[in-house]
Amino acid sequence: MTVATSRRHVPATDTTLRYVPVVLAATAFALPLAWVVVTSLKKQSEFGTSLLPAAPQLANYELALSLVNFAKFATNSLVLSGSYASLVVLVSALVGYGFARHRAPGRNRLFMLVLATLMVPNLVLFVPQFVIFAQLGLTNTYWPWILWALGGSPFAIFLFRQFFATFPRELDDAAEVDGAGPLRIFFQIYLPNSGPALAASAIFMFLWVWGDYLYPILLLNGDNTTLAVKMSSAYVDPRGNPLQTVTMAGVVLYVLPLIAFFAAANRFIVRGIVTTGLKG
Amino acid sequence: MTGAARVLDRPVARIAPWRRRGLRRAVTFYLLISPWLIGFVLLAAIPLVMAFLMSLSNYDGLNLEYVQFVGLENYVRAFTDPDAQHALGRTLLLMAVVVPLSLTLQLALALMVNQPIRFTSLFRTIFYLPYVIPVVAAAWVWKIFVDPTGGLLNALLGVAGAQVNVRWLVEYPTVVLALLTIWGAAGGGMVVFLAGLQGIPAEYREAAMIDGANRLQVTRHITLPLLSPVIFFNLVTGIIATLQILVQPMLLAPGILGLSPGTVPPRDNYLYAVHAYLEIFVKQLFGYGSALLWLLFAVVLGLTLVLFKTSRRWVFYGIEP
Repeated sequence: MTVATSRRHVPATDTTLRYVPVVLAATAFALPLAWVVVTSLKKQSEFGTSLLPAAPQLANYELALSLVNFAKFATNSLVLSGSYASLVVLVSALVGYGFARHRAPGRNRLFMLVLATLMVPNLVLFVPQFVIFAQLGLTNTYWPWILWALGGSPFAIFLFRQFFATFPRELDDAAEVDGAGPLRIFFQIYLPNSGPALAASAIFMFLWVWGDYLYPILLLNGDNTTLAVKMSSAYVDPRGNPLQTVTMAGVVLYVLPLIAFFAAANRFIVRGIVTTGLKG
Repeated sequence: MTGAARVLDRPVARIAPWRRRGLRRAVTFYLLISPWLIGFVLLAAIPLVMAFLMSLSNYDGLNLEYVQFVGLENYVRAFTDPDAQHALGRTLLLMAVVVPLSLTLQLALALMVNQPIRFTSLFRTIFYLPYVIPVVAAAWVWKIFVDPTGGLLNALLGVAGAQVNVRWLVEYPTVVLALLTIWGAAGGGMVVFLAGLQGIPAEYREAAMIDGANRLQVTRHITLPLLSPVIFFNLVTGIIATLQILVQPMLLAPGILGLSPGTVPPRDNYLYAVHAYLEIFVKQLFGYGSALLWLLFAVVLGLTLVLFKTSRRWVFYGIEP
């Protein structure tokens, strides 16, 4: 018996033990999602009467795009999530760089404060913020998201601080000797070298706004609102009966770009979390 | 003499530029973090104080002229409000069910996809997918999955026996809510566990294997203790998140026409944050609602502190991987 075959020889029970639970779990996780796709391919008359569509058809997708102004609300979501994500990541990276690389009295206490804000329930902060925004006339505009972004996100600040702390200090020293100021060091050394952390946090921040339902439903209305709010109510026919099959097509269209995005960036996310040491 | 003068000179000459550089460093630091600091003051500190002041008033969210200071009345009311007590009970029940199940599942998934098997990235993606799906879509996924006539769940249950016509969202709304929460949170926790698992040096496990430990023993005595900081992290974040669940029960409320901001979920899914939300944004009781939210904040803080206290007994920070 050679080494190679003995290494490859895994008992059949071992293989079963490895694969059966994970396949079962994956099936359970995927079934509800698959059911949305199956439902979206049915005719509305088949909903509740037959398990599978007799002839899968894409008509529901056309209806999902045309019954509401899908493109408009998708654009709203894209603009809001995109501008929030790019702004908040940039600000958070700068603040994280400050915490990781610059010493000053009170730094550690302030950093504890950053982490402490993560524990404040969202609604506790949001209710008074809502009152302020309403008094300033900022409801039904995108300003609240811009203001939130300008203050940075505690989660992203934490991520960048951990990430930048792993950079060798010699980098700063060399740049300082060459006469670069802190901002120049940040933009020319730190930012270009933080691909995974930038990608991971930008994706999470984008996703947060794209998927958020509570803030847009309370702060925006009418034409300004996001796709999430539009998708929360069912598509209906002219008589007001719900069109579940069209609604499912809308849900697929709402989620699909994110899934494609994530499949492409999957590697970054796991690596980003591993390298930033976000594990307790 | 000249030597002595130099000795006296030196410390003065050395401290002054160092202090100046220290000051400049401090100014740089505060300038760099100023966006966060200003944001913290304007969007967190002031709102927190405002929320507390509101909780002591009868503010209705509209008219500042009629605002009156009512002292602790709102807090007294919170402790006698039967709806608040019911909501708190349901929230704690949900937490007691969801958090242990979630942690176990997340750890199991991470251990499964960390094995040397094929298609690991496919499996990871499937488990992670529900975590990135927006809450509105996730609610639809489950609404359709458990639909009495058009859903797959009743169809699957019907295969075994007679026709099943369970109206899940009406009869067992908390079961659906728990499934949605566990399913949606699994991927996030799994990735954190996975990062923790990959931070454990393989030598530890190999050494135990060579000493004759089987796979279960290695998991129990090597992997789990080394993973305890990650378990603790997921436990704390899981508890904090579960106590604040708000949107999911409203989105899962049965109804054919979907939602409006004032949708009231079924009594079983009437959670604490839902109660506070409805009191504030539907009944316009900003004062009373703020008191409810401050109490929630206090519960979250208290629970977190207790967890940190007990963590010294079971969380193992012995090694730096």
